[in-house]
Amino acid sequence: MEAIVAEYNYWIYILLMMIGLYAMLAKNNLIKKVIGMSIFQTAIILFYVSISAKREATIPIIAHGHGHDTAHAVVEAAQYANPLPHVLMLTAIVVSVGTLGVALAICLAIHRRYNTLEEDEIQEQLQ
Amino acid sequence: MIWQIDLSVLTLVVLCAFATIMVKDLLSAAIIFGAYSFLMCLLWTEMGAVDVAFTEASVGAGVSTILFIAITFQTSRTVKKRKKGRYAAKILGLLAAVIMGLVLLAAEAHFPGFGDPGSPASLHLSPYYITHTLADTAVPNAVTSVLADYRGFDTMFETAVIFTAGLAVIAILRRVKQADRCELPEPVTISEGYEDTIIRFVSRQLVPFMQLFALYVVAHGHHSPGGGFQGGVILGASFILLAISYDLNLVTSRMSEKTNIMLGNIGVLIYAGIGVIALLLGANFLDYSILHKILPATGPVMARSHGMLGIEIGVAIAVMAIVIAIYLNLSSHGKLDKGL
Repeated sequence: MEAIVAEYNYWIYILLMMIGLYAMLAKNNLIKKVIGMSIFQTAIILFYVSISAKREATIPIIAHGHGHDTAHAVVEAAQYANPLPHVLMLTAIVVSVGTLGVALAICLAIHRRYNTLEEDEIQEQLQ
Repeated sequence: MIWQIDLSVLTLVVLCAFATIMVKDLLSAAIIFGAYSFLMCLLWTEMGAVDVAFTEASVGAGVSTILFIAITFQTSRTVKKRKKGRYAAKILGLLAAVIMGLVLLAAEAHFPGFGDPGSPASLHLSPYYITHTLADTAVPNAVTSVLADYRGFDTMFETAVIFTAGLAVIAILRRVKQADRCELPEPVTISEGYEDTIIRFVSRQLVPFMQLFALYVVAHGHHSPGGGFQGGVILGASFILLAISYDLNLVTSRMSEKTNIMLGNIGVLIYAGIGVIALLLGANFLDYSILHKILPATGPVMARSHGMLGIEIGVAIAVMAIVIAIYLNLSSHGKLDKGL
């Protein structure tokens, strides 16, 4: 059981990455490819957040940190989850909505021109 | 960290991912993907990444789902069956996915165990952030202080990336009447001629509270989960709610395209401007502690806290404007007159 708990998050992130990559490569519909890209992104985010987790640790907001006289209280780093991957992933999520918007805009432009979002039909029209 | 919750939510996440990929109806796929994002958000709360969870709830589950629904209405809803004899992509895709999975699995053997406090990622840089954030910046939320202060450059360029993404969407989709080179399809609309009093009333009552909450999220990000990104997305979502329950004109009359681009610009400018002010006062770019020279009654430590608030406001303005711009263009085929 211990071994499974220690590895489970990583297995799932690999599985999600595989699902995302498969959807990006193999799916015929462009929207499905975009969904695959989003799943791939969340898999990477899951990986980073899993790295940041610590057993017995709480959220990275320093307890009793309000007010000015508490600034010199002793803070143990092991009590708090690692904030650095959180920051990187937080901005990555917001950027992912930007890339999602651009990807969907391109899909819409393709639909304007070819009147379909199926990859094989677009290829037929291109030939 | 409770491993029972962790394991069961992770299993559900994989099920949702499979379902999103496999389902034939794109609207269902969008909704299942929203559920997937909410499960992810639950997972991250459980792992202690509350700020990430907050962002995922507002961005991944909220705005992304809406964008997918908008595009489903403007294009086609069903996935057509692939023509016979074109299985090469499927087989190659499966092969590539399996090979990547095996490589990652081989690398995974050397990872530190999940939740190991002694993992290398948690030993070198991050203890400094955790132990010094209060003394350095008077901000108890370490995520905010790292985001806006210690790694301010990173966040500034992320904001610029979002602004650029908004410009790219406008450049791809936006068509003004005189410059139409091809016949544009009429945008599909579900709100026109269909006035549901209950939905309109509830949304109208909800919007001010959403915006007030968004302002709270921006202003209180120093002490609780939240900050400029989350607050900005919630502000944008309040306008999207209006656009869906009424029509696009109501939103464009308040947040016209010009206003949106201007606000995006202003947001990034506020961020970079605070950096330049620090530069002019004789410190490094984005070193807020020097701001105590111009802010009344603050020491260098509180000046860093106030500087962070300033840049969070800039981020919120930029993100709000860009989220609205992306939605308006996607839901109206770039015409901005009527849409979903």
